[in-house]
Amino acid sequence: MQALPEWLTDNRETGTLATLLSPASTRPLEALAAESRAITMRRFGRTMTLYAPLYLSNYCSSGCAYCGFASDRKTPRRRLEPDDIRRELDALKKLGISDILLLTGERTAAADFDYLQRSVAIAAEKMQKVSVEAFPMSIAEYKTLADCGCTGITIYQETYNRERYEALHRWGPKKDFIDRLETPARALEGGIKSVGLGVLLGLSDPVEDAMSLYRHIRYLGRTYWRAGMSLSFPRMRPQTGGYESPFPVDDHLLARMIFAFRIALPDTELVLSTRESATFRDGMAGLGITRMSIESRTTVGGYYDNEEATDKTTKENSDQGQFEICDDRTAKEFCAALRSQNIVPIFKNWEPVYNGPSLSLKS
Amino acid sequence: MDLLQLGSYTFSSRLILGTGKFSNSTVMLDAVRASGAQLVTVALRRFNREQSEDDLFGPLLTLEGITLMPNTSGASTAAEAVRAAHIARELSGSPFIKVEIHPNPQHLMPDPIETFEASRILAKEGFLVMPYIAADPVLAKRLEEVGCASVMPLGSAIGSGQGLATSEMLNIIIRESGIPVIVDAGLRSPSEAAHAMEMGCAAVLVNSAVAAAGNPPAMAEAFAEAVVAGRKAIRAGLMEKSGSAVATSPLTFLGTL
Repeated sequence: MQALPEWLTDNRETGTLATLLSPASTRPLEALAAESRAITMRRFGRTMTLYAPLYLSNYCSSGCAYCGFASDRKTPRRRLEPDDIRRELDALKKLGISDILLLTGERTAAADFDYLQRSVAIAAEKMQKVSVEAFPMSIAEYKTLADCGCTGITIYQETYNRERYEALHRWGPKKDFIDRLETPARALEGGIKSVGLGVLLGLSDPVEDAMSLYRHIRYLGRTYWRAGMSLSFPRMRPQTGGYESPFPVDDHLLARMIFAFRIALPDTELVLSTRESATFRDGMAGLGITRMSIESRTTVGGYYDNEEATDKTTKENSDQGQFEICDDRTAKEFCAALRSQNIVPIFKNWEPVYNGPSLSLKS
Repeated sequence: MDLLQLGSYTFSSRLILGTGKFSNSTVMLDAVRASGAQLVTVALRRFNREQSEDDLFGPLLTLEGITLMPNTSGASTAAEAVRAAHIARELSGSPFIKVEIHPNPQHLMPDPIETFEASRILAKEGFLVMPYIAADPVLAKRLEEVGCASVMPLGSAIGSGQGLATSEMLNIIIRESGIPVIVDAGLRSPSEAAHAMEMGCAAVLVNSAVAAAGNPPAMAEAFAEAVVAGRKAIRAGLMEKSGSAVATSPLTFLGTL
C-alpha cells in the first residue's frame, strides 16, 4: 500500500483550527460568528459571488456508496450534446449567470476527457468563468483544459480517513485514495488557477476530516503559492441510493466549522451550495461564506428542461438528480434575500482576459 | 490653488475611492458623492455589459465630475494586465490605469516584477499608469523612471485595516519620489488618512474602510475631511517633534565660530 504523504500528518499549523473545533472549546458560537463576520467584512466586503452548477453527464464508472449517480444505480443515464450544452448555457445566461461549474461523473467512454474538453470550450465561449468538477486527470490533461478556458477545478477528497474512504468507494478508479489526494496538485501543475477542496460531511468523523482538509489546503498553499483556493462544506443529503449518514453533522457543528475555517484562513473563498436550506444560507451570508451556488439543478439538462420542455420523456429522464437540493429559490428570490441583508450578489467577478497562457504555477 | 496633478490632469480632491465591496451600487454612488472624490477606481472584472444590475461601470457614468481609473485586479501577470488595460481603455475611454497584479488571487499582494513590466509597457503606450505596489522605495523609483504618473504603495495589506504599518518605508518613498505618492490599501480610520497626508502623501485611496463602515456615505465624508485636514497641516508646516530637530538657518552662525 502506498504511503501517506507527510503533510497529511503535519500538525505544525493546525493549532488555531484545532482549538476552535475542539469539543472542549468553551468559546460560544456567537463569539466565533462575530470574529468570522468581521474578517469576512474586511476582506470581502458586503459581497457574495454567485455561480451555477451544470451537470453535463451522469454516466459514471465509480461505486461511491453515498452517491445517486454511482454506476450500480438504476438512474437513467444521459449526457448533454454540444447543442444541449449551448441551450443550457443560454438558459443560465438569461438568469444572469456568467460563472459556471461543469460537472460529470467518473471517467467513462460516454463522458471521457475529449467530451469534457469539448464541453469546456463551448462553455468558455459563452461564460466569463468556467470551472470543472469531474474526474482526476493527468497534468497534461489539466493543461489542455486550462488552454480551453478552464480556470478552476473542484475535487473533494470526500473523506481523508483512508479506511472509510476505501470502504465507501466500492470500485472504480476513485478507489485509489492517494491518486485522489494528489489530484489538486496535478491540476495546479497543469496551470489551473484555482482549486476547490472539501469533504463530504457525514462520511467520517467531521472534525478529523476538517483538520486533514486544513493540512491539505496549507500544503497546497505553501507549495503552489500562486494558486487560488476555495473550500466547500457539503453535507450528506438524501439521494437516490438511500445511503444513511453514520456521522451526521448538525447545523451547530457546520456553522462552527465555517466560522473556524474563516478565522484560520481569512483569505480563502468559502462556498456553500444549495444543498443547504434557504434559512441556513441566508444566515451564513456575511458571516463567513463568500461564494454560493444558485438555481441549482442536479439533473442533466435541468435548466432548459425547467424553462421550456413540455416533452414528458425528457422530464422523466432527468428527474432523479445526484442529490436533493434544499434551497430551491430562483436567482431572483435568492438575490432579493441577499440584498435585504445588505449583501450584494456578484454575477461577474472575472474577465476571460485573465485566463492568460497556461503556465505551471509552481515555478 | 493646491491641486493634485497626475499627468496633465488636475484634481482638487485628494481622496480616491475604490468601488468594490459595497452592499449595492446606490450606497456606492452615495459614498462617492459624499467623499467629493473626483477620481474613482473600478475593476475591469466588475464591468458587466450583459447585466446592468451587476455592473459597476454604468452607474459610475451617471456621476458628474468623476474621472474613472479602471484597475486590472484579477491579472496575475504583466501580459494579462496589459491586455486588460487595453480593454479597459476601450470601454471607459479613460487614460488612467491602476496596475494591480496579484499572483495569488487571495493574498492580494502585488507582484513587483510583473507590475514593473506592465507599468513600463503601458506608460510607453501613453497610459497614465498608477501602479499598486508594496512599500518598496527602490521599486517606486524604478517605476518613476519608466514614466508612471504616480506610485501607490500599500499602507498595510488590503482589507486588513492595519493602517500605516509600512510607514517607515513610506517615509523614504515620499522623501525620494519625484511623482505623487498615493497610499493605497490598509487604511481603517480617517485619522490614518490624515496621518498619511501629514507624512506628505499626495492623496490616499480607500475602499474597504468606507464600504465596510456602518454608514458608508458618512464615513466617506469623514475621510474627505481628514484628507483635507492632513493636507492643510503639512502645507502649514508641522512643529518639529522633540528629538527630530535638524540644524537649520538659526544655527548656521555656529559655522562662523
